[in-house]
Amino acid sequence: MRLRQIRLGVLTYFIVLLAAVVWPGALLFRAAEPLILGLPFSLFVPALGIILGGVALAILDQAEERAASEEAGGER
Amino acid sequence: MEQWQVVSAVIALYLAITLWIGLRAGRGTSESVTGYVAGDRSFGLLVMYFVTGATVFSAFAFLGGPGWAYSRGAAAFYILSYGVLGIAPWYYLGPRAARLGRRLGFVTQAQLLVGRFPSRSLSALVAALSVLAFIPYITLQMRGAGIVIEAVTEGKVPLWAGAAIAYGIVLVYVLVSGVSAVGWTNTFQGIFMVVIAWALGLYLPWKLYGGIGPMFEGILAARPELLEIPGLTASGDPWNWGAYSSAILVSAVGLTMWPHLFMKAFTARDDRTLRRTVVLFPTFQFFLLPVFLIGFAGVLFVDDLAQADFILPHLILSVDLPVIVVGLFCAGALSASMSTGDALLHATASVVVEDGVRPFAKLREGTERTLMRVLVVVAGAIAYFFALDEDQSLVVLLLSSYGIIAQLAPPIVAAMYWRKATTAGALSGLIAGSAVTLFFFLNPELRPWEIHEGILGLALHLPVLIGVSLAGKPQSSEHVDLFTHPNLPERAP
Repeated sequence: MRLRQIRLGVLTYFIVLLAAVVWPGALLFRAAEPLILGLPFSLFVPALGIILGGVALAILDQAEERAASEEAGGER
Repeated sequence: MEQWQVVSAVIALYLAITLWIGLRAGRGTSESVTGYVAGDRSFGLLVMYFVTGATVFSAFAFLGGPGWAYSRGAAAFYILSYGVLGIAPWYYLGPRAARLGRRLGFVTQAQLLVGRFPSRSLSALVAALSVLAFIPYITLQMRGAGIVIEAVTEGKVPLWAGAAIAYGIVLVYVLVSGVSAVGWTNTFQGIFMVVIAWALGLYLPWKLYGGIGPMFEGILAARPELLEIPGLTASGDPWNWGAYSSAILVSAVGLTMWPHLFMKAFTARDDRTLRRTVVLFPTFQFFLLPVFLIGFAGVLFVDDLAQADFILPHLILSVDLPVIVVGLFCAGALSASMSTGDALLHATASVVVEDGVRPFAKLREGTERTLMRVLVVVAGAIAYFFALDEDQSLVVLLLSSYGIIAQLAPPIVAAMYWRKATTAGALSGLIAGSAVTLFFFLNPELRPWEIHEGILGLALHLPVLIGVSLAGKPQSSEHVDLFTHPNLPERAP
């Protein structure tokens, strides 16, 4: 059950990311200001999207691994 | 010694190391076709990580990325936006494809497709489409290599000669060692280009503006339109949202469908390796950030460069860097070009022989390997011929290839996940989608809202695939089970 929720959560993240980088969602993030960590807002958002995407994939991987080893353990 | 001589020496050293690694790489691999095309399915995490990363990030990213940031500003951010979206589905698609490959003996993507949808026409069509997309992509890599060498040697080594030297080396190691050379040289080149990109991406804004923040403040004051998505067109007018958004979509759909990348699923040692590669991919993608910083560093510093793709070498030469650093930069850019170009050349030859020739003529294993090697040279020669044409931007060249490649996504996904898909559906969908893509590529003024031709192709492709499949006779359950069963056994049939 927990694996299902994590899969759903990760899928939701990537759908939200897609919606945020293409029209019309990207209209919210198109502006150059404010500068964050020296980067324009319009560049900071996709960069943050990559970092969070990596985190989401790592969480998914952990969950899949755990589920796979539990399943293998159960079969033995 | 003059600057260009020192730079040339550094490049020569770099090329020699690459060649040495490439030649050594093939020593442990078998003489079989699986050895040449799929490295005996033995790549571990380190090599897979760099193969995936360095193959995706090419001369397009290293030179085209700064070129776009410099001339078109925020338009370049589309390149940053699609990578993670494109790689995420590979977490499931990749291992599934790899398992099918181990089980049924596939080494190319078309073999997987034709395994599920038996049709020699489909195999030939996929081979033809792949080559159609590969040639501009290889052209781009060669031009990238030529541009860098011409710029840093102050024109003493012209584009045609630079491209010929760099790709002469690539030809040698690909011919000798096959995909193992691609794997190990990409590992070396991948490390090299990431280090160089970060070093220059942080150094140039600091040197020219006093830091990244002051650089963007300066650009914001002088040219605010550059920093607002969707950026500008090549002629300096505001870019269109339809074009920007569909460039992201088509690139995300197409990313892992590139045969040279997809085929690497068959080189992985196991599923775990492939999955970890996907999880680590964003770390490689982050290297686009310094690449953009380099391009933006040129905005207030360089007036109207005739060819925006030259911005990086131009900046390097105008900022008083130690000559050895110029040489290293040049080697970094060559790494980016060659690490993708070698994978492409190798994949073109593999695809033509495995998917375009073998279904129609019986070949002995030795003949097959020889034919692949001949085709590596032929593909290189054709791309080289086009590389000498100076009219195309690197990014535009790549974007046009993506439209064709994206058409491979629906049949691939259907082959592994959709039980009701049929051969007629896959074939007619692919024909319809490719025809629409080519039509709008040739008539770009007819595209609604400037939407990318590949997305327009997919808009027809999907309903045709689904409609024709549902209307026809379904495939037998036993056959479909081989491909779509969630727990595919590892054994050979």
